[in-house]
Amino acid sequence: MAADLKFAKTHEWARSESGGLATVGISSYAVEALTDLVFMQLPTVGKRIKAGDSIGEIESVKAVSDLYSPLSGEIVEVNTALAANLETLGKDPYGEGWIVRIRPDDPKELDSLLDRPAYDALVSSRP
Amino acid sequence: MNTLTVWWDGAADGALNMGADECLAREAESRGGLLVRCYGWSATTVSLGAFQKIDEARRGIGEIQGLQLVRRPSGGGAIVHGSDMTYAAAVPKSHPWGASPQILYDALHGAMADALAGHGIVARPSEGGASAAQPETAGHDEEESFFCFDRRAAGDLVVDRPEEPRGVKIMGSAQRRLAGVVLQHGSLLLRHNATVAGRARHPAAADLVGGAMPDHETLAREWVRRIADRLGARLDEEPTSFFVGRDADIAKLSQRFREEWWTARR
Repeated sequence: MAADLKFAKTHEWARSESGGLATVGISSYAVEALTDLVFMQLPTVGKRIKAGDSIGEIESVKAVSDLYSPLSGEIVEVNTALAANLETLGKDPYGEGWIVRIRPDDPKELDSLLDRPAYDALVSSRP
Repeated sequence: MNTLTVWWDGAADGALNMGADECLAREAESRGGLLVRCYGWSATTVSLGAFQKIDEARRGIGEIQGLQLVRRPSGGGAIVHGSDMTYAAAVPKSHPWGASPQILYDALHGAMADALAGHGIVARPSEGGASAAQPETAGHDEEESFFCFDRRAAGDLVVDRPEEPRGVKIMGSAQRRLAGVVLQHGSLLLRHNATVAGRARHPAAADLVGGAMPDHETLAREWVRRIADRLGARLDEEPTSFFVGRDADIAKLSQRFREEWWTARR
């Protein structure tokens, strides 16, 4: 897991990219907890979102989970290849399994997210 | 707070039931504990899973044409309601039963297996996989079966029959997992639904076990007691409907489930 990732308590990750963008995905812990993914609905480019807003939905075996944006801003790119290749989320959740790219309203918002040790502590406390 | 709170509700239409269930989820998040609402349907209604294709419901399956239709926020396959025991359960994700999907499925289905065992009826959790009637084939797996009761997922409650090696499914559940709370919908098929035929009619618990099957209310009350036992929780059975004092909120939340953008979202 790359050290430059920051995490939301709802298991999304964000990484600052060049050009003032941030890439967002879901953690390997979340993918493993969901198991057997069957369908994913992604947002549209241009959508404005606030941190904590739903940016998509994912269905595993009978369980539909909302995906929440860890940042406020505008969605500038969506990984449309994911919907037809959900296994990518499990194989490479922090690389090819990225979900959206966001132009954050405030890049400093990333600082409010959990760093890797704090996120690891969060998930290790779960049953 | 280690409490199981239960509401015994009457019949309502699909949109009101879905609105009430969303209200139940919000309440679970704010007050904690496991909340369960058992309810009925004012007319035979098909509930669709969150991502099922609307065309299949409106045009593809003749046996359900003309029935009321509502789309659930939870996943899974379609259910024809009217002769089933329907419930919604909501629990915060911080609750021991809210952490992962399978925990809550197994707990509530296991409690039903316990309740049925008290009447000499053997039901067991499924290992998953398609039923014999809907075999898995390349490009057409169990997830494409339209009806919930044609699908098999790990933990579904089944009754063994010689003609169905994987068991006949009598109870299934599905979830919506929000940021802080889990809403689980579930259905136990008590009797086959006489208002539908063909693919829409599934063998029900009473068909499989005959006279051993307890009546709906007896079974439901034993089920919630078994849930409380498993959880080690105090059981609080509310004397009034969940709608009492929440009817305005539920009416507002139910609006989405009446609208075409939601019903035909896929």
